[in-house]
Amino acid sequence: MKDISLVRILPQEPRVPFINVRMIAAALSVLAIIGSILLFSTRGLNYGIDFTGGTVIEINTSADPDDAAIRAALIDLGYEGATVQGIQPPVGALDQQGNPITHRLMRIGIQLADESGEAGQGAQQQALENLKEGLKESIGEFYVRNTEVVGSQVSGELRRKGIMSVALALLMVLGYIWFRFEWQFGLGAVFALAHDVILTIGVFSLTQIEFNLTIIAAILTIVGYSLNDTVIVYDRIRENLRKFKKMPLPQVLNVSINDTLSRTILTSLTTLLALVALYVLGGLALKGFSFAMIWGVFVGTYSSIFVASPLLLALKLKRGVNTGGEPKEV
Amino acid sequence: MLFFSRSKILMILGAVFIGLLLAIPNALPEKARDAMPGPFQRTINLGLDLQGGAHMLLEVDLSSILDQALVNERTAINDAFRRADDRPRTEFVRTDEGTILARMRTKEDADKAMPILQALSQPVDPTQLNSAKTTRVNRESDKNIRVTITDQNIEYIRKQTIEKSIGVLGRRIDPNGNLELILAPEGDKRILLQVPGAQNIDEIKDRINKSANLSFHLVNEKDSTNQKAMEIAMEPPHRVSAGDKYFPFSASNGQGGGLIVVERTRITGDCLKDSSGGPHPETNGAVVNFSFNVACATEFGRMTARNINKRFAVILDGEIITAPNIRSAITGGSGYIEGGFTLESARDLALLLNAGALPAKLEIVEERTVDPSLGADSIRAGKVASGIGLLGVAIFMWLSYGLRFGTIANLALSTNIILIAAALSLFGSTLTLPGIAGIILTIGMAVDANVLIFERIREETYNGKTPINAIETGYKRSMAPILDANITTLIAAITLYFVGSGPVRGFAVTLAIGIVMSVFTAVIFARLLTATWLRGKRPKSLPI
Repeated sequence: MKDISLVRILPQEPRVPFINVRMIAAALSVLAIIGSILLFSTRGLNYGIDFTGGTVIEINTSADPDDAAIRAALIDLGYEGATVQGIQPPVGALDQQGNPITHRLMRIGIQLADESGEAGQGAQQQALENLKEGLKESIGEFYVRNTEVVGSQVSGELRRKGIMSVALALLMVLGYIWFRFEWQFGLGAVFALAHDVILTIGVFSLTQIEFNLTIIAAILTIVGYSLNDTVIVYDRIRENLRKFKKMPLPQVLNVSINDTLSRTILTSLTTLLALVALYVLGGLALKGFSFAMIWGVFVGTYSSIFVASPLLLALKLKRGVNTGGEPKEV
Repeated sequence: MLFFSRSKILMILGAVFIGLLLAIPNALPEKARDAMPGPFQRTINLGLDLQGGAHMLLEVDLSSILDQALVNERTAINDAFRRADDRPRTEFVRTDEGTILARMRTKEDADKAMPILQALSQPVDPTQLNSAKTTRVNRESDKNIRVTITDQNIEYIRKQTIEKSIGVLGRRIDPNGNLELILAPEGDKRILLQVPGAQNIDEIKDRINKSANLSFHLVNEKDSTNQKAMEIAMEPPHRVSAGDKYFPFSASNGQGGGLIVVERTRITGDCLKDSSGGPHPETNGAVVNFSFNVACATEFGRMTARNINKRFAVILDGEIITAPNIRSAITGGSGYIEGGFTLESARDLALLLNAGALPAKLEIVEERTVDPSLGADSIRAGKVASGIGLLGVAIFMWLSYGLRFGTIANLALSTNIILIAAALSLFGSTLTLPGIAGIILTIGMAVDANVLIFERIREETYNGKTPINAIETGYKRSMAPILDANITTLIAAITLYFVGSGPVRGFAVTLAIGIVMSVFTAVIFARLLTATWLRGKRPKSLPI
């Protein structure tokens, strides 16, 4: 059997001078981080009900829904701040009777302004009742496909847990890298991860895409993915430090990044392929998640090349001390 | 690295084969599945967001339970003082900042009260030898004694409350036991309720919201017919004299107004042996038939015998549903309650009564209900997305590494997916929509280990190594980075599992399983394939 011709994306020994542009990259990263923090503190995030508490229903009306009538009904009910969002049904969507859905679905969200104290007992559930009753009166029968009600007690906890999980993951990863490498590597990796997390939050602030529990999951996955990339480059740096004892550090870093470049690009591309499929075909619930991940793949790849590796220079990685011993084999 | 002993080969192939067997039932129709042997009948458990259903978090109102515990303790203290042979005289016994403060008339009274109060303090859990006491008794001054409910007792009450609530909820929502409910404590004061499939959620919520506290009380006829007393009683705190309380008639009773009744009673919902809804024996209304257990039947017989031609009030959740006249002693321990019921509402009430009263009010603090049609949409979308993702990645691998190594990588990838399905089926873990996202992400990331190895092999070949040597070194050198990279991702996944909740956990599970399986398939299974190919072909150069 004859093998088909091979597509080589890159030359076998690419020598892109990544390290030489580290100052430009650093400036870019610092700017992006400042921008993200500014955005976050001024615009904030568009938190979903997971974190704010509230009620969201997705309904299927008998024909294309009348947005204006729904909005008017919501104002009549006293939910001025309600959000109404028409959504295209996913490809091949069927309704409860098994008929194809040909018109838009409606997603209606309300967040109660005040839900504290005694009056708040069951306020969310009451709001859900009112919403369903009131809508039925003004737009007729509809079918509820999805209901989400999150009380303020729960949303507060979810918020705390979300922040805690990201912080905890960063900490544990720092510990692992520290154990496997040297402290400069651990610190470099965590800086790079913090960079990725901040920029991801920045993008969500910029686009105002709903920030909910699945986005926290995405951020943690980005942490995992970006770290994956960083560890691979670091591993090669460690190996090359032993191999080229005389080579200056910046050059070792550059060779290492280039050695792993084709792998970095290939893996990013296959991951992106899967994620784009998810983004386009996965339906509304996974859009935010796959968007975050797609962004994360870019940022994570960028940061392992332009942030994590140059940081080793800045952190004054010392040769000899850090490179003692044979590579650990398993 | 390229030598595999016969037993090792058998083990690897055996693992893949068993994985395949475990995964296959998911693709079979239900009939064919039933014919398979036990462990191979299991399929992946679909989460509520995929199969449809309701997920609710119910919060137990623990503060009311603790208040109730204080009231009970105070009643017990008063009773104990009253029954004592040498009765200590009190100025007051009252609740005070979560404790009970008893002020006695004199120092001597307090001296007499101390042993009585200490005797009231019982082991929290009588089945345990070193169980803590229910209360702590402190002499604060000559006349003041403070009784505190111990933390251990509060904890015990909390556990009992949650446990009892779960039992009651199960009997209420699923009296016939065929809904496959999940009811479990979650944290300190919450209960997780999951109802799969298409159910009438509003009806379920109704059953959660009702306490169904039933009790039978004697009516204080003198006060209830006294206009003045009734006027006072209708205002909070609804009391005219000690031990009596005013309750309104329920709306369905239709009588309006209310009655003053003797608050203490021994005939409560706990007395019920059985109840059922049915038609009224004479009129065309509906009634709830009930029968008491033996102890309560005797007590009820005594209570009715002593109070002929008076009324007794049947109170449900703070409202009088009926107050019939006692014509003769009711000794049989059974009877029926009228209360303006319809046949349906009578049956509902009977169901609630049979299930027992909820020990505390429950609030639905989180609800996520997904219609099965939406779940089906999500599954379909997930299948399409993973199919296309898989195909794209496979083509990409062939293009990058040629037919030979591309096929090895893709075999490893397909095996990976099969093993994920097998692991999910075997462990009975739940696949959620984010879980599907985890699988699709794994499809993209799983080839990473193979990419690393192949790139390394390429590099070694380029450096002039022989095929066997290049492959050997390629695998050897890739091992450390592959493990480091995957362990770090695994750490993130595990963190996500322990800190995350609900569907996010489903994502963490599939991601973690995917990572472990991808290391197995890329590092061990694909290596076996490569080694077999090498031994068969002994190539002079590598097609990579």
